[in-house]
Amino acid sequence: MIQKQKISCNVMIIGAGFAGMTACARASELGLKTVIAGNSSQFYFTSGLFDLLGVYPPAEGNVLKTPEEGYVILKKELPDHPYSKTGLKQVQNSFEFITRFLKSAGLEYRSSSSGNISVLTGAGTFKPSFLVPETIKKCQMINQGRKLLIIDFKGLNGFSAKQVAAGLKKKYAAPHTLSIKLSTQKDVRAPVHLASMFENSDFPEQIARKISSSGFKADILGMPAVCGINRSLDVLRKLEKKTNLEIFEIPMMPPSIPGLRLKNAFEKQLSKINRVWFLNQAKIESPVMNENKFILNAVNQNMVTRIEADCVILASGRFQSKGLFAHRKKIFEPLFNLPVYQPEHRNLWHHRNFFEKKGHMINSAGIETDNLFRPVDSYGSVIHKNLYAAGAILAHNDWTRLKSGSGVSVVSACTAVNDFYNRHKPNSGSSSE
Amino acid sequence: MFTISLYIASALSLAGILFQIFKLQKTGSAGLKLHTVKSNLAPAFFNTLFQTKLFKASRVRWCIHFLVFSGFIFLLFFHALDELVSNRIFSYYQPTVDPYQFLRNFAGFLVGTGCLGFLIKKFHIRKNNPRLKSGYNNLFSIFLTLLVILSGFMLETSKIISEPVFMEMVEDYAGIDEDSGLDELKIYWEKHYNVVFDQLSYTMENAVEEGEIINEDYCLDCHSKISSAFVSHLLSRSLKKSGSLLNQYRADRIFYHVHYLLCFLMLISLPFSRFFHILLIPFASMNQKADIEDHQKLKVEFNPVTLGACTDCRFCSDVCSVYPNYAVTNNIRVLPHHKIEAFKNIITGKHLHKDEMIRLKNANEACTQCNNCTDICPSNIDLQSLWVKLSDLLCKPASGKTDLPSDFQLTREHDISYSRTSFKNCAQCTICTNVCPVVLYSSKDENDMTPQQVMNLLRLGRKQMAAATLMVNNCLTCYSCQENCPSEIRVTDIITELREASAKAGQS
Repeated sequence: MIQKQKISCNVMIIGAGFAGMTACARASELGLKTVIAGNSSQFYFTSGLFDLLGVYPPAEGNVLKTPEEGYVILKKELPDHPYSKTGLKQVQNSFEFITRFLKSAGLEYRSSSSGNISVLTGAGTFKPSFLVPETIKKCQMINQGRKLLIIDFKGLNGFSAKQVAAGLKKKYAAPHTLSIKLSTQKDVRAPVHLASMFENSDFPEQIARKISSSGFKADILGMPAVCGINRSLDVLRKLEKKTNLEIFEIPMMPPSIPGLRLKNAFEKQLSKINRVWFLNQAKIESPVMNENKFILNAVNQNMVTRIEADCVILASGRFQSKGLFAHRKKIFEPLFNLPVYQPEHRNLWHHRNFFEKKGHMINSAGIETDNLFRPVDSYGSVIHKNLYAAGAILAHNDWTRLKSGSGVSVVSACTAVNDFYNRHKPNSGSSSE
Repeated sequence: MFTISLYIASALSLAGILFQIFKLQKTGSAGLKLHTVKSNLAPAFFNTLFQTKLFKASRVRWCIHFLVFSGFIFLLFFHALDELVSNRIFSYYQPTVDPYQFLRNFAGFLVGTGCLGFLIKKFHIRKNNPRLKSGYNNLFSIFLTLLVILSGFMLETSKIISEPVFMEMVEDYAGIDEDSGLDELKIYWEKHYNVVFDQLSYTMENAVEEGEIINEDYCLDCHSKISSAFVSHLLSRSLKKSGSLLNQYRADRIFYHVHYLLCFLMLISLPFSRFFHILLIPFASMNQKADIEDHQKLKVEFNPVTLGACTDCRFCSDVCSVYPNYAVTNNIRVLPHHKIEAFKNIITGKHLHKDEMIRLKNANEACTQCNNCTDICPSNIDLQSLWVKLSDLLCKPASGKTDLPSDFQLTREHDISYSRTSFKNCAQCTICTNVCPVVLYSSKDENDMTPQQVMNLLRLGRKQMAAATLMVNNCLTCYSCQENCPSEIRVTDIITELREASAKAGQS
């Protein structure tokens, strides 16, 4: 039995990834009636680290100490990059907003006064990031003087202490490794299961005892990012207290627990606000653009929701989340059929060499916009005054190489919402109600 | 004597063919259907005559095979059946006249070279590829062909050098004696036709010239220059010294019998050796192949008679996608050609050991239905359907009765788990496994599969196996997996549906 419902709102956000959630957070804070449709499970694939600008120029693989260093060159070389449209200051403001928002949901993020933080990864390498969870930040303490111990859990998929140690050996003295066997009957292979076990009151103590009894003398301890799901910081503090060690988490392969924490934080906080409707796993169909209104249908398994919106923010991501669709000859945007900036031929999509330093042209494909992130047609004029695009779907944004994914998502989402709010502030109350 | 033995051999061969077909057919389903034959006629024709599929599979092997094939076909029709074919088509046909003499040698040469090529390939090249490594059970047909060709050449050679045969011919056709130029003719024939004579006086002058004239008068109509029979020509030259000895024992008669005996042996062994593929490849090529949708619906028919077309070439194992499974488990039955062998054994009623059956079942379940083997099979056997048939056979208890009714389908067309689109997006990202409370609270032995693995089984078309997993039966229907799936697959709905379907199946 398929039910039908109708919602009218100010802002309709398509896509519940990082950009969509940020836009939703921003819009709800500004008091706008918001509908968000999409699949928040994509958060399992995000590392939970917020990058601003980690590498520039990417062809030289130049890792940046501070984003400002790279931004100066980026602005000259890539005038179409989302950052060039907003300026660095606005990116930082957006990050401040999202940090505040997540803090109210109980998830602490920290930046460093000295710019980028190099985060130890599960491969034993370091990755530059701008804003990291409190539980991860202490990896900055790794240096020559301190003794490091890295632990893993027997049977846990996707993390090996020995691999991390082998990666670290190139830079620092080889750290000690310890593999912890859980006292339960079976191996826990799934990281989510292990993380949920950490939330049991006596589980961290058990682990602490095992670490202490191993007899390694260390100052800091790195562990896979499985230290609880919703109360991660409390669990980590508890563990630190019992072991008398400084502890940090190391992000690992998907499904990523820091990503899950982020998903839960967004969902928890947004569900408190009654101006927000969250249509999970809904597919948007048959959008209609009028002069002032958008009419869309969100289709669930058992519900069709007709949505009337003043403004649409397209944050549907790239190919995996089907925001962009790669046809045999052409890439297109399946929902509004917006023009997609892309290489001329399919042959040019990828370079022959997978690890080519210049990157692959397809990674710069996407939707071209004006300075306020409104999609434009081939003549450069805005397609609809209240249609915005945000996040990974934007063109000229090779985020995997620049380490700038989160920054682009937050700044485009916040700019779009702010712009809509500023232009409709005087009559927003009357038109929607 | 000759005719009787020919009839006996033909009758034996025919009986053998019927016996073999009956043996394979016993368990099998329907034979050819007319409409499928029509649509497959052209490709079957080309595959039979030019081995188009073998050409696609391996050029080298095609070359070798085509040498044997073309030579053999020529010899069969224009040499073995010359009374029926050559005599009727060509008005002046004589086996000892060019171009027939040359062509016969050439065809024999082709077959011989091809057989040698097979042997070289078998002993040398295959050693380096573990997938293609084979035993020596197929050498019989190669050696038999080679022996037939060799005996044929020896027969021709021994006839060439034979003095008695020469004398018989002179008596029958020339009727000359020493006075009227027999010696001259002998000298000429010794020189140009390689006949070995016991005693010959070279005293005469101009003997060769005179011999040539006599030759033109009596012999040349039916005997071209012997050098065109290039293989036998060379052989007779090299046997010149032992020629008189061979003539003394009438080697031509011995080789005559040997050659015919070998040919009859070949005829009789046709249905019992690899020669059988000659008859069955056209038949297999005409059979309709089931496509992916038929496999989805589990509506497959396999005609086991087509198995006779298998030449044990092992290309199927060479392209098999699950070869790594064999590399890890060492279960030889993973490889398609070993499965074919086992299948033949099962349907012909040979009893396999229980452990062997379990290994076979495990191996067959590893198949991903990638269709590579069917695509490459030079004999055009519908292997994909064979594997489905095999898994059916292995599910059955020994009595032959199944627990399920024969028309039972686990899922029906309107079901979610029926349609491939409902789970094809699964990227095996492990999120459903991660959030599943059943996986968390049951140990490895209690829960055989995780939700993602159930989805994978469905993708492999193993619905029955998926429905039988503990995961499906232990599911709490908490919908965590479905809510968290990034690909929006209706995991819980599918699992619930499978459980209901298997419960229904249990009741009926």
